[in-house]
Parts: sequence; structure tokens; C-alpha cells
Amino acid sequence: MALNTLEFEVKTPDAAVAVAKPVHFGVVGSGDLEVLMSPLASGGAVKVKVVTPVTGFDALWQRVLEAFVGSAKLRDVSIEINDNNATPAVVTLRLRQALAEAAA
Amino acid sequence: MSKWSTLLSRSFLESNARERAVGLVDEGTFTEFAGPFDRRTSPHLEVLGEAVEFDDGIVTGVGRIGKTPVFVISQEGRFIGGAVGEVGGAKMVGTIKAAIDFADRIAKDFPNAADEEKPIVAISFETGGVRLHEANAGLLAHAEVMDQFQRARGKVPVISLIGSKVGCFGGMGFVAAATDVVVMSEFGRLGLTGPEVIEQEMGKDEFDSADRALVYRTTGGRHKYVMGDCNFLVEDTVAGFRAQLSELAKLPRSEFEALRRIGSEKLVEKQLEGVALAAELQPKDARDVWVHAGNPDPVSLAMAPVPQFRETVKRLAL
Repeated sequence: MALNTLEFEVKTPDAAVAVAKPVHFGVVGSGDLEVLMSPLASGGAVKVKVVTPVTGFDALWQRVLEAFVGSAKLRDVSIEINDNNATPAVVTLRLRQALAEAAA
Repeated sequence: MSKWSTLLSRSFLESNARERAVGLVDEGTFTEFAGPFDRRTSPHLEVLGEAVEFDDGIVTGVGRIGKTPVFVISQEGRFIGGAVGEVGGAKMVGTIKAAIDFADRIAKDFPNAADEEKPIVAISFETGGVRLHEANAGLLAHAEVMDQFQRARGKVPVISLIGSKVGCFGGMGFVAAATDVVVMSEFGRLGLTGPEVIEQEMGKDEFDSADRALVYRTTGGRHKYVMGDCNFLVEDTVAGFRAQLSELAKLPRSEFEALRRIGSEKLVEKQLEGVALAAELQPKDARDVWVHAGNPDPVSLAMAPVPQFRETVKRLAL
């Protein structure tokens, strides 16, 4: 019954992009999620924490986050997600929006 | 979030709770209380395996409109229908308390402060009431908010803003009714028992909740304005609500009591006259009441743009 909490690190070899300020983006609506993205000195890694009612898709979460972090070349960032059954496409979209907000 | 200036022209209905809160007060003045970075999620939802939100679905904070400190509470309907639980409820209570404490401090330290320099509370409702997952804590939160309203009365005006998707129903319908002023847009809906619950209890013949036109002409802003349950009807933009709030901020604090719809013996008598009128009229539809109030053509009146509606409509006199 309890919520599924996933915690992992993603490291990209040529990562160069750090976020300057912490940002919050999104609303935990049905099929949606919210993201907190904050700077975190972690030796170049991106620390991810996902809290979701969904079980059985842990490997998919990891792949979606790896793809996002890899394409954005992120480093030294903490990403915290409260999810409510968002699809991978929505997850990627919200992460990009949060990053855009951080860069604004 | 979009720039403050672009927020203003946005639909209040389509905006989220944080955008509404930020847009209601002057640019750059909003400071959030217990925001997402404080990560105060509901412990009850977590145990039940239900999705949580960092702000528990309620945005609270303080900003300014001109010289007036405005304590803002803004509910998010997309998170569990805006239902109020323990954390969100405590945030509402804490914000009203902060406004009262601030008013007390101003009264003590600056006894000559002008009315427009004294705090007000603005609550944007978007909720069906108690969050059933944490029912006791949610109910208690409703009672505690009402309790703060009584403390605030005559000291800190509390203003309801209703123009969100979910509307304001259930226990929070009572809470909104207990505030000093109700401001609505035509898309705002206010009631106690929501349309679907009425249908479930009384049947589709009594109330068809799939009939949107019926739902809006029974619970929507225009009807509430005719009935006197809502004091001001504004256009559906963040700027529309903000402009009304800014007018109210300038109003002498002594004038708020007269805007109340409930809360005195005289007002109870007035409400009872409404009940007597309903028994006599036996209206089959909200439009029957509009006709009785002196609007011979309720259909075209309902279709008129909001400013024109406000100018021409006759409100029910009890």
C-alpha cells in the first residue's frame, strides 16, 4: 500500500549543465507530476528521488531519467518528483519545463 | 511560471493555484509560507499509497496590493480535487492566524495606521471540502478555519474568491459562506452538496449532473449574484479578481460587516424569508427566481457579457 519511493543516481560522462537556482514545476494532478530541481554538489552526479503510487515500472523510471539527464547534459542537480501516474512522455515534458524554468 | 504581467490577462479558471496567488498581489511581493521546498506532504496519503504533493494542494503566503498586506490562501483543484486534509488545513489556519497577529501588532505599534495599511485575507477556493482519506483531520481543519474567521471578524476582512474549475462545495461551501465577502466569476460555482452528490442521492430526475447548463445556472456565479450569495461578480481573469480585491483593500474596515450574508440574527431572519419565498414560489428552475427578482428575460440576460449583465440584472430583494 505504501508509496513506492525510488532513489538513484545518474552520471553522464560529458555533463556540463548545472542549474543556478532551485525551481518547482508542475501540479500532482491525475496523470501528472511535480518536480523540484535544485543545485546539489554531488561530484557531477544527478540525484533522483521519485515518489509514486505506481509499482512495477522502476526500470522504466530509471531509463526515462537517464535519457533526460543525458540529453540535457545535467550535473550536480537533485531532482525530486511527486508522481501521480504520469506517462513517460509527460515525465520528460515536465522535466524539460522545470529545466527551462531554472534557466529563465 | 509565466511573467507576472502575462499572468494578469490569463483566465483565473485555467490558472493553477500558485499562479492565482502570485497574480492577485503586486509584482514580486508574494512570499510563500510552507511552500514546495518545505516538503510538507500529507503523512496520511503516504500510508494509503496515494500520490502526495509538496505543498499538500494549498498555496499560502503573503503579498501586497498597494499599501495593503494581503494574506493569500489558494487551493489547487487538480490535486485530489482540492480536498482539504490535515497539512493543507493547518496551512490555511496558520495563514489566517498570521494575518490576525499582524493586525494586532499594527494596532499596538501603529495605532494611527490607515485602514488600507491593515491586513486582509483572500481565499481562492477550489475544493469539494474534506479530504476523505484523512476525514477527521480534514473536518477538524474546517472547524479551525471557521474559528479563525470568528477571531478575524471586525478586525481582518476575509474575502472569498471563487472562479476555479472545481468550484467550492462540501464543507468548504460553509466556510466560504462564513467569510465577509464573496467574489465570483461566472465560471465559479458555490454550493454545499455538489451536483453529482445530489444526483446520487435524489436521482437524475431531480438533478442531472451531466447537464452542464443546469449545473451552472443553479450553482454558477451569475445565479449566486442574483441570489445575493455572492457580493461581486467579476470577469474570468486574474486581473478581474485582483481589481476587485484591490477595491476591497481600500474599503474602510467598518464597512465589511454590512457585506456579510450570514452571521447575525437579522441575517438569519432574511435567510428565513428566502425559505418562505421558495415555499411560496415553488420554483422549478433557477430562472424562475430570476423572473421573480424582476428579470423578465432571464435567458438573454444569462447570455449577456458580464459587465452588461451587472448593469442590467435585478437582484433578489428579501
